[in-house]
Amino acid sequence: MSQKRKRSDAKSPVNSLTDHERILYNLIRSKQDMGIWSRDMKQETNLPDTIVNKSLKSLQTKNLIKEVVNIHSKGRKHFMAAEFEPSKELSGGAWYADGKLDMDFIKIVRKQCVKHIVRLKVATFEGISDALKRSGIFKEDLTKQQIEEILRAMVLDKEIMELKSNGSGVFNNIPVGKVCYKCVKEGGSVSEPRIGAFASIPCGVCPQISLCTPDGIISPKTCVYYTKWLEF
Amino acid sequence: MRNKVVIKTQISLVTQYGIEYAVHVITDHFGNLISKVCECLLRRGPLTRSNLKRYTELSDSQIKNCLLVLIQHNCVQAFAVEQTGGFGEAPRFVTQYLALFNNIVHRMRFSKFMKIVSQEFDGECLDLLEGLFEHGRLTLKQMFDRAKSAEKEGKPVTLDYVQEILLKLVTARYVERCPAPEPVLAPKDEAPAKKRGPKEIEEPKTIEQEVLEAAVPVDGIRFSVLDPDVDGEKKDIKPSSMTAREKRKYDALESDEFGTTATVVYRANFEEFVRCLRYKACIDNVRARLDDGAATVLSAMLDATRNEETEVRAKRSASLSLSSIYEEVIKTEAGRNMTLEHLRASLTELGTPPLVKVSDDSYSIEFEKIIELAQLEEMESIVLKRYGQDAYRIFRLLSREGRLMETEKIADVTFVEKKETPKILYKLWKDDYLHMEKLVLAAARQTQFMLWKVQKQNLWKHILDEMFHATLNLRQRLAYELDQEKELLKLPADKRTGALNNRNIRLNKIRKILQSSQMKLDDSIMLFYDF
Ligand code: SF4
Repeated sequence: MSQKRKRSDAKSPVNSLTDHERILYNLIRSKQDMGIWSRDMKQETNLPDTIVNKSLKSLQTKNLIKEVVNIHSKGRKHFMAAEFEPSKELSGGAWYADGKLDMDFIKIVRKQCVKHIVRLKVATFEGISDALKRSGIFKEDLTKQQIEEILRAMVLDKEIMELKSNGSGVFNNIPVGKVCYKCVKEGGSVSEPRIGAFASIPCGVCPQISLCTPDGIISPKTCVYYTKWLEF
Repeated sequence: MRNKVVIKTQISLVTQYGIEYAVHVITDHFGNLISKVCECLLRRGPLTRSNLKRYTELSDSQIKNCLLVLIQHNCVQAFAVEQTGGFGEAPRFVTQYLALFNNIVHRMRFSKFMKIVSQEFDGECLDLLEGLFEHGRLTLKQMFDRAKSAEKEGKPVTLDYVQEILLKLVTARYVERCPAPEPVLAPKDEAPAKKRGPKEIEEPKTIEQEVLEAAVPVDGIRFSVLDPDVDGEKKDIKPSSMTAREKRKYDALESDEFGTTATVVYRANFEEFVRCLRYKACIDNVRARLDDGAATVLSAMLDATRNEETEVRAKRSASLSLSSIYEEVIKTEAGRNMTLEHLRASLTELGTPPLVKVSDDSYSIEFEKIIELAQLEEMESIVLKRYGQDAYRIFRLLSREGRLMETEKIADVTFVEKKETPKILYKLWKDDYLHMEKLVLAAARQTQFMLWKVQKQNLWKHILDEMFHATLNLRQRLAYELDQEKELLKLPADKRTGALNNRNIRLNKIRKILQSSQMKLDDSIMLFYDF
């Protein structure tokens, strides 16, 4: 047993760990890609603060563990064994960088999608995915899931819309019934959604509407939103 | 136990501000006294005259006169309820009065209704209809007198001619015979209702629905014109398609309230106008969502199925074959150059989400779905304006999914920062847009999840109430602006020069914007309330 360990990990720093360090290291490793918060370690191991802090530092310098960002609580010290990558729950997923949504990246991907959809008039998922790949803009190809996620968000923003092919006209060569995407506005500019009648008048967006009465302090007669609206 | 008719006064979508608005309309059109009676009925539900007297503290004759005006203008309907007498006494009938919220609110829509008719009929029809709007109810004789008084030289008005116009409008269902003045509501059996299959469970009828069902004559009578050449004989101009059951009810009606032509009274049929506006809203919505082709197809389908529709708020239309749709499409100007292939393409377009549903090679319009999407669009724009783009995306996700979703998942799909997402969700929840559920899992470390979904029914009702509130506000602001400038308005037009002229121009602009906003808002109210 001891021989075996020696052979495999002869030079591994694991062998030079103190008892406390070993306990903590095993705990952290057991959490795999979820890692663990330092406060929870103290609770689970019942070790005093000073020892935990000292041991964690030592484990870090030995490159056995690393500190990672937990997007849910950025202030907390969260640790993970060096060989794991933070899970999606911790990092926020593919669209997150350093615990924040990578807005610049997302914007670029969306822009590229719109560009291809505009060019193709109506595009299938595969069409968009191929075009993105061929463009060579991204260092790594986006996953199928990533493209799906982006398209879905764009549908929610009413930037593009989903529709089914009817096999003719612009849908020529696309099998009938296949889901396609099309830009809502010609040219792919982000369209302001159609604003309904209620949302187009001051009362429709007024935070005070529940307090507004004909003869009250807040009233349509004295309403400043109205005065501004009716300024000509 | 004395009164066996179960009276439910709740009309589900009539909200606080809805009532306030209706009262405002009545005050505006008929003054304070009448509106007092009407408000009492709107707030308390159907009442007898003695109860009305008690609550309003008006005199008998005042109440009687107010009710007569309200009935004349179709804002109140009387009905009788049978009450079992005490021991040894015969049952007796008690008359109650019911305010008709819908009809009151329709009073603000006369110009919209006129516009519909003006697209189909000429000036004489419009004049007759205008008379009905103005007076509520008219007999043929009264219509004739009215036309006579406006007679132009060289164009004598005859009774026959007026009747012909009336028949046109009745055939098109824009005008109908008035309902029975005081239908009797049969007492309900208190025995438990018959067991029904789960599919048949219907919402219990409101008192308004029950009364109107009892009062409105069957279609054969409702849309018929009685020939005035009486000579002791009654000659009806009525559709020959009346069923035996309808005939019986017809004859029964003829023998009492509708005995002679002199007492046959007509009024505008609001239901038909609402139906037309509902169709129009559907077509407009499809045009905006898809394209002109799809709108042309939808409108042709509506033309073809219109006569088969019995309810105003039908969930879907009758079904049509591809060839019958095509036949209808090429009748229209916009559809004349449509090929069959083009039609098929448009129908596929209309198929997702199913605005037109196909089964067994026949197509039917899913009104409910179209209306639902239109309502949703209005809601979404409110969320966008009030809470911003991220909330808009979240709301759209949740309303499309229509089920509970977990915070994390929502953040992922909508690309909203994970730390921001709960804040937005919480805000929407606090303002009653969302419903929230906590899910506690004992086993895992992260034990608590928050689940969210759109609180549709309550939210829709709440927004409708706010829309009524906003309509009132628009009207009040306009009244205020006019009042501010009343001195100016008193001046003759040629005196309004210089600075006065500028004020006049400003006032006109304000009037225009407030009035047009009101009309558009009313379209949205109809979308949520009437369609
Ligand atoms: S009148 Fe003014 S204060 Fe009142 S609800 Fe409308 S916008 Fe708000």
